[in-house]
Amino acid sequence: MDATTRFFEDLDRRGYNPRLAKSSGALRLDLHEGPQTTHWLVRIDRGNIQVSQEDMEADTVVGASPALFEDLVTGRENGLAALLRGDMTVAGDARLVVQIERIFPGPPHAQGPHRYRKGVR
Amino acid sequence: MAPSHNVRILDGNTFVVSEATGDIEATPIEPAGLFSIDTRYLSKWVLTVDGERLTALSYDDLQYYEARFFLVPGLATHYVDAKLSIIRERTVGGSFQETVTILNHDEKAVDLEIRMDAGCDFADLFEVKDEILNKKGEIYSEVEPDKLRLGYRRGNFIRETIISSSAPARYDRNGLAYTVHLEPNEQWDTVIEVDTVALGPGGRDLRIGLQLHGSERVALQRDLEEWVAKAPKVNSEHGQLAATYQRCVIDLAALRFSPLSLGGATLPAAGLPWFMTMFGRDSILTCLQTLPFTPDLSATTLRILAALQGTRFDDFREEDPGRILHEMRYGESAAFEEQPHSPYYGSVDATPLFVVLLDEYEQWSGDVALVKELEQECRQALRWIDDYADLVGNGYIWYERRNTDTGLENQCWKDSWDSISYRDGTLPPFPRATCEVQGYAYDAKMRAARMAREFWDDPAYADQLERQAAELKERFNRDWWVADGGYYALGLDPDGRQCDVLSSNIGHLLWSGIVDDDRAEQLAHHLVGPRLFTGWGVRTLAEGEVRYNPIGYHNGTVWPFDTSFCAWGLRRYGFAEEAATIANGILDAARFFDGRLPEAFGGYPREQTKFPVEYPTACSPQAWSTGAPLLLLRTMLGLEPHEGHLAVEPRLPVGMGRIEVLDIPGRWGRVDAFARGRLDLHKLAT
Repeated sequence: MDATTRFFEDLDRRGYNPRLAKSSGALRLDLHEGPQTTHWLVRIDRGNIQVSQEDMEADTVVGASPALFEDLVTGRENGLAALLRGDMTVAGDARLVVQIERIFPGPPHAQGPHRYRKGVR
Repeated sequence: MAPSHNVRILDGNTFVVSEATGDIEATPIEPAGLFSIDTRYLSKWVLTVDGERLTALSYDDLQYYEARFFLVPGLATHYVDAKLSIIRERTVGGSFQETVTILNHDEKAVDLEIRMDAGCDFADLFEVKDEILNKKGEIYSEVEPDKLRLGYRRGNFIRETIISSSAPARYDRNGLAYTVHLEPNEQWDTVIEVDTVALGPGGRDLRIGLQLHGSERVALQRDLEEWVAKAPKVNSEHGQLAATYQRCVIDLAALRFSPLSLGGATLPAAGLPWFMTMFGRDSILTCLQTLPFTPDLSATTLRILAALQGTRFDDFREEDPGRILHEMRYGESAAFEEQPHSPYYGSVDATPLFVVLLDEYEQWSGDVALVKELEQECRQALRWIDDYADLVGNGYIWYERRNTDTGLENQCWKDSWDSISYRDGTLPPFPRATCEVQGYAYDAKMRAARMAREFWDDPAYADQLERQAAELKERFNRDWWVADGGYYALGLDPDGRQCDVLSSNIGHLLWSGIVDDDRAEQLAHHLVGPRLFTGWGVRTLAEGEVRYNPIGYHNGTVWPFDTSFCAWGLRRYGFAEEAATIANGILDAARFFDGRLPEAFGGYPREQTKFPVEYPTACSPQAWSTGAPLLLLRTMLGLEPHEGHLAVEPRLPVGMGRIEVLDIPGRWGRVDAFARGRLDLHKLAT
């Protein structure tokens, strides 16, 4: 199973995400590869999440390549930078995509804050 | 950065920097241009008549979004008998629009060749001070029958400038031209429209849905009028105070900025022209300064910063869970991760200040709903202070950058490389801690405790926060006090050695409340004493320190915003006369800048220079300099929300005369405050 499918299945299975508690709306992701487009539809109701693969109208429509999205959900690429580059596109209410971007993981090898230990640099 | 004859107009983060003729010719020394979303969209924009450049007779920047230039052909030596006048009128509102009008004053008909040279290097805002030689993408210029398209493409990153004209023009790759016949006393005009486009592969502009004010001049005008009408009115006998206040309210309108993708809400950007973006620290401190006057800015700032609060570890962006962002940018360098601003989180004060602003905002507005809405974000911010900021493990907020290429070395407001030093002038190793940030953390905990008790229904958490705050205060007063100087150290190194210089940061400590009562008087004496106080304001670093330099960016200049927080701190501990003294200095200084205080000015003594010497590269208007007179008004009038009403306890210098502030908004509706100057400051200053 690819990381994108895992990401959405996990999102759907958990049902509630506190980081999206202030979000409501439907976001559709269109993953374009040649003539083929895969859809993921995320419905959010104050943090309660349902995911399907329907191709339906949504408040926010996000477009990306499957490869880029794999990198986003594994933290190898950053969502906002991808938006600025034009590698990911948004139509409709852009707030939803900024909110969902927040739940993507950080880079896999991030170390976080460096604790100081005397004599160890 | 820009010489003062440069004309700047803006709307949101679209702005123009040009010469007094209206021409734009960008060079590394003169980083002029039309800019939007951190990208230059015009680097050349030169108007000629019959191949001749024009000379400016005068220009007006009518409002922040419009300017008008009166020109004649030729060089200054022979324009006296000019038979033509040229007027350029321009407006920035989403797009850039310029109307060119030519009047023939001659008794004969004339035939003219009018030309506008146009070109663009599409420099990222971070490149404008360099020669633009090696852009990684491709620059193109396409001529169409009715427009000229200048563009830049790097992968899917596309930025285009589209130039079109109301009068028929001949377009070529380097501009557009007109052949005009004018009878005596006849005039000709054309409207040139310049659209700035940021396209994704779907052909949609990144900024769709963002035209907050509307791009029409009339809409801009109406928006500004509404903004001014909504702010309280200030009347005063002191000649300049009301004018300074009015200037600040208008500049705040100009500095409003609507971040991409957050629904059109506005917050104060940091400064024009190079900082028209969201900065956590600058936006929060400006909101704190302006709360009594423009409280709506605080609500949107809090919401936007909360929406982008850190959620994960990212060493390039220095993001941690709970951390509040430092800077957001939209240009090529952010997009391609050559700079970390997407967003960058490298500051240690924005996170505690976020909590401080929320509490202060509620005390003024009574907006309990927002305090409840942002409860989790506040808890995350407080967790960041305890879990991720204490790099040494001794209960303080420390910083050491993880992005060693493009991250900031000093992550406090004094963020230049040499701003934190020991008394002998040497720089401490990392991690470093600075004193004012510990004060902010103390204040954040005390204020969060109030919110937890009153609004979050969590008295146990409130008790815990108060206990932590009390321990922090005790610890701080033990570890940071410089006994032989009678003040707090600017910083600590990781081994606990004090950066024992005297600095303006002690004023922020008074504001935070972390100062033991019996030490406050010593700090007050320093803040109005000759080593720190110049007569205009408080030096960032005291005269006599090894690194002191009256034009050292954070080592001796006076920053009006910094002084305004010192005044607030003095007032908090009951030193009203001292607060009025330094407030008076800054407000006097404002007169030399027509009410628009620069980012910083020299730390020379007032008697020596008689006028405040502007720091050479200062940004202006800058948000927290614009906020300074507003906070000083609050401080001098003693405006404090108190048990649901507005308390007023004025302590003004005699020279201020009578001041009235009408329609101060808050949980009380709108109320007026009146004051009369009664303090004789000369007694204190000598």
